[in-house]
Amino acid sequence: MIGLIEAAECAVKECERLGADEAEGFTQKQRTVEIVLERGEIQNERTKTQQGIGIRVIKDKKLGFAFASTLNQQVVKETCRDAFKLAGVSPENPDWVSLPPPRKIPPVPEGLYDDELASLTPDEVLGMVIGGYEAVKGVDPRVSIDDGKLSIFSTEVAISNSHGISLEGKGTAASFFLVCVAKEGGETSSFAYEYEVSRTLRGFSTEKVGELAAKKALMSLGARRVEPFRGEVLLSPDVAAEVLFGPVVSSVNADNVQRGRSLWADMIGENVSNRNLTVSDDGLLPYGLGSSPFDAEGVPSQKTLLIDNGILRNFLYDSYTANKADTESTGNATRNSYSSLPAISISNLLIEPGTKSFDDLVSEIDRGIIINRFSGSVRVESGEFSGVAKQASYVENGEVKFPLKETMISGNAFDSLRKIVEIGRDRRATMTSVYTPPILVKDINIVSK
Amino acid sequence: MIELIENCISKFGEGYVEMRGHSRKVFSVTVKDGQVERITRGLNRGVCSRILIDGSWGFSSTTIINKQNLLRLLKDADSLAKSSKPVKKRSVKIAPVKPHIDKYETSMKRDPRKEELEILVEDVLEADNEAHGYSKNVVSTSISLSVIDDELYFVNSEGARIRQRIVRCFGGASVIAKSNGKIASAYESIGGQTGLEIFEETPIREAALEAAKRAVRIVPKRVVPGGYYNVVLENRIVGLLAHEAVGHTAEADLVYGGSFLSNKVGRKIASEMITLVDDGLLPSGFGTMKYDDEGTPTGRTVIIDKGVVKGFMHSRETASQFGVAPTGNARAWSFEFDPIIRMRNTYIEHGDWTLEELIEDVKEGYFLRGGGGGQADFNGEFMFTIQEAVKIENGELKESYRGAAISGNAFEVLNKVKGVGKDFAMRVGICGKEQPNYVGIGGPSLNTELLVGGS
Repeated sequence: MIGLIEAAECAVKECERLGADEAEGFTQKQRTVEIVLERGEIQNERTKTQQGIGIRVIKDKKLGFAFASTLNQQVVKETCRDAFKLAGVSPENPDWVSLPPPRKIPPVPEGLYDDELASLTPDEVLGMVIGGYEAVKGVDPRVSIDDGKLSIFSTEVAISNSHGISLEGKGTAASFFLVCVAKEGGETSSFAYEYEVSRTLRGFSTEKVGELAAKKALMSLGARRVEPFRGEVLLSPDVAAEVLFGPVVSSVNADNVQRGRSLWADMIGENVSNRNLTVSDDGLLPYGLGSSPFDAEGVPSQKTLLIDNGILRNFLYDSYTANKADTESTGNATRNSYSSLPAISISNLLIEPGTKSFDDLVSEIDRGIIINRFSGSVRVESGEFSGVAKQASYVENGEVKFPLKETMISGNAFDSLRKIVEIGRDRRATMTSVYTPPILVKDINIVSK
Repeated sequence: MIELIENCISKFGEGYVEMRGHSRKVFSVTVKDGQVERITRGLNRGVCSRILIDGSWGFSSTTIINKQNLLRLLKDADSLAKSSKPVKKRSVKIAPVKPHIDKYETSMKRDPRKEELEILVEDVLEADNEAHGYSKNVVSTSISLSVIDDELYFVNSEGARIRQRIVRCFGGASVIAKSNGKIASAYESIGGQTGLEIFEETPIREAALEAAKRAVRIVPKRVVPGGYYNVVLENRIVGLLAHEAVGHTAEADLVYGGSFLSNKVGRKIASEMITLVDDGLLPSGFGTMKYDDEGTPTGRTVIIDKGVVKGFMHSRETASQFGVAPTGNARAWSFEFDPIIRMRNTYIEHGDWTLEELIEDVKEGYFLRGGGGGQADFNGEFMFTIQEAVKIENGELKESYRGAAISGNAFEVLNKVKGVGKDFAMRVGICGKEQPNYVGIGGPSLNTELLVGGS
């Protein structure tokens, strides 16, 4: 067994010895404690230890990749041979320039690693889940938990490449979600989802999640239908992240831009949304879910302005797409694990908040709905969205009238970005690292039976 | 690996103990727009142990495989089981299963271990070329083939010793078309639990061409108008309905939690034209395995027989709770997860209508084509995405529209079935229920009613 950086460096040396032009080793080690709740019961408690290496090899502009879950010299060398062999059969990519050279890495942002979180024992983790569970029971006996999970992660990574990058990093994270349902007189409410995700234990409360999930479930009892209409929709942060910003994330991805998959390919400097919308990607956000001083290729992280008061300013690049466009990588290469190649992704997508509270936003709706959960599809390239409005309520003259059932919404995110009425004040970190307040949009098609 | 595991388990005395070893070899090629985007080989290996002591489970997994670490793994699982015991409401018991000593291997004509997989690059490049060549409006493609070769070892303290080798070959083609500032995407997939022969029988080139044709066809079109309609659901979508909207409500853990089917055994809940099965032994089925991940032999489990609820899918734990025999539905995605109740190959059995007859029966509605993803709650409410909607007027197909999401309650939809097709088809799927898993989904085309969330 060898350490992460030693394994990564060993891989680079071995690939060079085999005759590679360039090579990169990415190693990762992760310890996870997970507690699964099902049907209101503690179903399982798991501890997992996982480690591995992913090796990228380039020979004559041909790329090969191989991975393994064992970190000893023999396996690392075998994996290098696999990657080298694959590079041999891969056709040449004329657009290949090079792996990134070393650049100055910024200091580690505050709040990415929490000693206390990393050293939680399985018993302590169990105690946190029970806190959330008790909070649900404390709200109302009509509410029960459908499922939930608390996960505690502690991760270390190392990257080495043949241009001299040699970096190590570590991080922690905790996430907890609950799905609750309320039952009364034969009626089952729609499934209410609530969660919390954080890099540290600061402000992380499983009790708060339990209380909110239970209240949401209760609020959707007594649901009714409305006639189909076109109106305003108040999107919760989760729904805004998925429906509005899913297509934004896809459209600013330089790989999609270069492949003709982005409708914003030729729109830098042009208006793409309502003037009040300002969006940036910040890989150095303190306590940020997607923060790290360097990305998955060892390129320094940065803050990149994407939409500035409605005007499209920049795209997000990794080193390959940056080389192709003759610009610099924005440090947005990410990997799901050692077993995948780097791909472009957001770090933390920050939507500038407005000034109005959630209640103020509701009071501005003439006729429309509030939607807390979206069960549907968003075609990120074309912006079309269509799906069921879950945990939804009907609003008339600024007042919440009743919860909704069997109601669908449909529209196009690129239109809706221009039809933003108001951006709320209270920004929330969603599970996908999109930090957004609730957003009120107009002119959405509301479909029902 | 199995010898090391047997050796460790024999040294551990208390409670019910099981250990699983898992080695997954991955080969995959992805081509985007004429370039090989990635060509990957990989190996993941790991071991887990699950222990049941005094009615409480503990689970632990690792990728560090040596005797010292595996013994520690057993200790970890043991102490998790003991420490979580006081907060568990229910004391778990497991139904008896005869300990099997057996081997199983996917039936294959062309074993991927005996061939150079690198030749698959050619197939993918050819498919990419075909899709781009179909029309100048095809602007981008992403086409991939994968071979996943799993070796599974199961050993428990009751004496079971099972080795299974499961090989899955599959691929997908996603095509994006652009025209006059509008953009549309389409997707087709192939695959099964077979050797490399599937890539000859159902070439990825044909799937890519199919996706290209659809993307180009729908790019100038509007989104289908929203509303409640009489529809014909294409066979490729019906598998989703069988799996996602109905199947989950028949998983015994969800039944226990109060799913739609929880108190309905023996009751008629769908049209008598509907028979729905979860089959663990379907030849070439993506979810086929001879034994599940608790060492229980799998089989054919009838959920709905001519509209009447017959039974549920069980693990050893739920079988004991319900007082029935386990059905072999306990499956784990990898060594990192404990087995939970999962479907294997879920389908609605075919009827005797032709597709033309199903369409002729619709006065005004849509023929819904091309499967996407979907979600459902355990009360039977579902949401699926379809790629294309073709207008039907007086039994005749008219213009195409872009697809949207469709929604309804599965049991209402199955009650309103007016006709079941002959055109049975199985698809490959990956289902997520806390952990992912490979499943087969299928059925024939159906004539029914539902809500379309269009423009």
